[in-house]
Amino acid sequence: MRVSLNWLADYIDLPSWDPVVQANVLESLGYEVEEIDRLAPRFRRVVTARVVEVEPHPRADRIRICRVTAGEEPMTVVCGAWNFDAGAMVALALPGSTLSDGMEIGRRAIRGVVSNGMICSERELGLGEDAEGILVLDSETPPGEDLAGFEALTDAVLDLSINPNRPDVMSYVGVARELSAYYRVGYRLPDPDFPKVDATPRIDITIEDPSGCYRFVGREVWGCEVSSSPFWMRTRLRASGQRPISNVVDITNYVLLELGQPIHAFDLETLGGAGIVVRRARTGERLTTLDGVDRELTASDLVVADRERASALAGTMGGGVSEVTGRTTEVLIEAASWDPPTVLHMSKRHGLRTEASARFERGVDPQLPARAAARAAQLVTRLAGGEALRMVTDVIAREDRMVPVTIDFRLREAERILGPGFDTARVTDLLSRLHLVVKGDDPMKIEVPTFRPDLTRPIDLVEELARLWGYNNFPERVPRGPGGGRSVAQRRIRILRRALCGVGFSESVSLSFMRAAEIDLWGWEDRDERARSIHLKNPLREEESILRTTLLPGLLRVANYNHSHGLEDVAIFEMGRVFLDRPHPVLPKVPDQPERIGILAAGRLGGTGLGLSGRQVDFYTVSAVWRAMSRHLDLGEWRLDPVEAAGWHPARAARLILDGEAVGIMGEIHPAVVRKAELAGRVIAMELELDPLVADRDHWLFRAPSVFPPYTFDLAFEALEELAAEDLLAATVAAAGDLLESARVFDEFRGPPLPDGRKSLAINYTLRAPDRTLSGEETGKALRSMADAARAVGAELRGDL
Amino acid sequence: MESLDALLERAPTLVKGTATLDELSEAEAELLGRRSVVAEFQRGIGRLPPEERPAVGKAIQEARRVLGELIETQRRRLETERERLMLASDRVDVTLAALEYPEGYTHLITSTIEEVCDIFLGLGYRVVGGPEAESALYNFDALNTPPTHPSRLESDTLYLDWGDPADEILLRTHTSPMQARYMESHDPPVYVVVPGKVFRADTPDATHSPVFHQIEGLAVDENLTFSDLRGTLAYFAREFFGSERRIRMLPDFFPFTEPSAQMHASCFACEGGGQCRVCGGVGWIELLGCGMVDPNVFEWVGYDSSRVSGFAFGMGVERIAQVRHGVSPLRHFFDNDLRVLSQFR
Repeated sequence: MRVSLNWLADYIDLPSWDPVVQANVLESLGYEVEEIDRLAPRFRRVVTARVVEVEPHPRADRIRICRVTAGEEPMTVVCGAWNFDAGAMVALALPGSTLSDGMEIGRRAIRGVVSNGMICSERELGLGEDAEGILVLDSETPPGEDLAGFEALTDAVLDLSINPNRPDVMSYVGVARELSAYYRVGYRLPDPDFPKVDATPRIDITIEDPSGCYRFVGREVWGCEVSSSPFWMRTRLRASGQRPISNVVDITNYVLLELGQPIHAFDLETLGGAGIVVRRARTGERLTTLDGVDRELTASDLVVADRERASALAGTMGGGVSEVTGRTTEVLIEAASWDPPTVLHMSKRHGLRTEASARFERGVDPQLPARAAARAAQLVTRLAGGEALRMVTDVIAREDRMVPVTIDFRLREAERILGPGFDTARVTDLLSRLHLVVKGDDPMKIEVPTFRPDLTRPIDLVEELARLWGYNNFPERVPRGPGGGRSVAQRRIRILRRALCGVGFSESVSLSFMRAAEIDLWGWEDRDERARSIHLKNPLREEESILRTTLLPGLLRVANYNHSHGLEDVAIFEMGRVFLDRPHPVLPKVPDQPERIGILAAGRLGGTGLGLSGRQVDFYTVSAVWRAMSRHLDLGEWRLDPVEAAGWHPARAARLILDGEAVGIMGEIHPAVVRKAELAGRVIAMELELDPLVADRDHWLFRAPSVFPPYTFDLAFEALEELAAEDLLAATVAAAGDLLESARVFDEFRGPPLPDGRKSLAINYTLRAPDRTLSGEETGKALRSMADAARAVGAELRGDL
Repeated sequence: MESLDALLERAPTLVKGTATLDELSEAEAELLGRRSVVAEFQRGIGRLPPEERPAVGKAIQEARRVLGELIETQRRRLETERERLMLASDRVDVTLAALEYPEGYTHLITSTIEEVCDIFLGLGYRVVGGPEAESALYNFDALNTPPTHPSRLESDTLYLDWGDPADEILLRTHTSPMQARYMESHDPPVYVVVPGKVFRADTPDATHSPVFHQIEGLAVDENLTFSDLRGTLAYFAREFFGSERRIRMLPDFFPFTEPSAQMHASCFACEGGGQCRVCGGVGWIELLGCGMVDPNVFEWVGYDSSRVSGFAFGMGVERIAQVRHGVSPLRHFFDNDLRVLSQFR
């Protein structure tokens, strides 16, 4: 809400009107000031002047010659506007003056008549958007005054953000009331008096739906004249962010901002059948609202209707038919009290958030309508003429809402939450300043006025005490918890992350979504769990419409993003949840959402520099990364089984079996997927369940290094293509027994002189004993049994031992 | 033939005059080789009378020793010199980065979470996680959020087309559901921090993302007051943003805390006033929302709200990382551009 300090001064006397001081005070009370808008005239040498006479221009139809006086001799000014006549008080830019846009006004001849300056419009003065006609000032304004000196034009406006629980502060009186509590001074309500006439109201009002409407006050003013509202009101409305329209409409907005009670004015003569009914809309009923939109209504909408049709959306927006126009003379002023959820629902459903709905959906004081209707009637008679009827139609459907709430309050409540010092005297003082009625000692009975719907429980009062006492006046104390820290899994996740960073992979964090097209890209079958994704009910965009079932599409997207920015060497990993279409194994009602680790790399990886440019990634890269992970995590029994799976290279992918359980896949992504993802070359990836990797494990045990010399040798084997290197390695290692210190495949070879379908594998072994130097006899025996073991899995030693 | 004395007289000049190891070998041959004076004396010793032999033998030994030491000393000198020259020619351009090891970096979101958690670990908190696909029960009901609260609307919250529609399964809009889940399964005292992903119905732009991260904090104990909340957050602000930080708290509104507040820390980049990239000249940085746990939340999880009290806070991870490191716009957290990732640590 935009609060003009000029306007606010009507309701309270403050020790300082410095906008920064008041912004700080309001912030300390919980109203964030988003902006301080300082308003000041940007024009110079513009004075008030009375139009003495107006004559047609002899040589032009569309402009007139005016004689105006700024207190001295009348002078001639040519003017193209028609919204005034002799007697009007106007803003005259004298020769030598400057307008708000910097334009200088001189004396000049217009079609042969010398104009001594210019009569200004609001827009030319930078006061508003209105450029239709000139600015007409209140006729009581004395002529010859410097317009820049008008107090109303120099103002500071605080843009307050008001939390949804405080509808009572969404008005000038509400803000004044808060400041009065802070400063311990009084605040003023507008004077309620105005002349009334005795007559019988024409409109009769019925509330058919008390669940939606608590109270409806109708007040009629007959014989008014709709025109523009006075300068002071337009200035205040504009400062508060409202566009002036006409006096009657402006008055409804003025009262809304002043008291916080939204007001609606109906053109009484357009209401069919002299009666108003508050009811739910009929299904299929239509209403064209003031914004020109033709809306179809449903039975959950609440409307103000005449005998024939819906005429306004309750508490939200009026209808076009009953709108106050320039021809309106008879006005029905509505001030009602609506059910907040009903209004919230309607404004959301129709996408219509108005000043009125913003207040009603939070709860407007049901005591307000009568006062607000009176204030509006008073202003209409003052500014638009006409006669207000003494008799008011005040229909109260929900008496219960009109009664103040009483809360039993024990001092202990305050002390338990706020600490010591909140004794009877302090609590009574603080709550009384907020206009709560405090009775008794301990427990106290606290009567809450109806404008504070947010205060219903003792804890609500505790907050008020803290707020008014000042959040920053509490001492600081740091409590200590019992510990617990990070779990084993959390600690092991950190080890894993460090291991991956150490081999050159950077961590990526993706949004947790994927697109339907990405499922197609990978070619998963419908029954595949990765294709059975969970959809959002209310997605905003296609990109964020499906929850990811795997980390891979996100990683591929990152590779693609970097590739398209000229970065071809990508090595990334991500840890996060995927969402599967099956129940959570532990938590009721929510879907399974296990944590995974995914890695992906493309291009080259490894040391770079002079003569070095890393190594093109391939299957062996990903398996090497896995081995690094397994070493850092000290994982025990695992193996890689070749696998053919959708989206993966049919001959370069493996399933990881850890402690007998399949925990994921690693390998090269199928070239077709790579092409569709607009990448090139080999792209490697891995996706594993995180839990089994980081679950608690037995501690590793230290092995003392042997002080005896090693026996190191290479063996080359020839075998069928199908023999897995790991199987050959495992067989020979097992045969070497306890003597084996390390074994590593260092060469793989195909082609002549080997026949087709056969390959050669060369392995480097180190044997060593913990307690002796190995004898030739021992090593010879080991070599022979290794050769035998190789033969048993189908590999022949090349050459002799 | 030259006398041994004469030989010893001229030997130092000869040996020290050599400039290379080859020259030294020639000098060595001349002084101690088969044709040298010393060798001649050695060979002639048999022809001497027996009583002279010991003295001459001794003189020869002495000459060999002196000459040998002389040559060794010169050899070491020449070898040192040769190595010096060799190393001098082995010079590298020390400014040349001829080798780069592959390096990876932790994402800024992760490292920020880790750092914040570390601070609270020091205060005796425990780190816990929780489900991201949640039910309205935990995301809203448990947290005293009325059925009509606007945050439940589809314009704010992402709902899932999954499970029983009555359960309203959604993507959690904050890490606060873990307040209820944790208290439900643990007795007080409770001191936990909950980092994790949260979701909102927002289209990505400079300041919005449908996914971001929060760290929830919850402390429930006997006798915790507003002062404990203030003290804890001030401690955090000083640990994270520097020991000079002051904090201020302004009243705010959240359904699940009362009193509720937003917490600001004094700006670490300026003294307030003027143009500041961090605080915009206000002198304060809004860091997080917090408050005393609402009794209705305690009732919901089965705690006795007349016996325990507590506080909760929720901070935006991207928010505090942005404040500290200036990362902007928000998409840089999620594009995973390698040029950005390599700046994170």
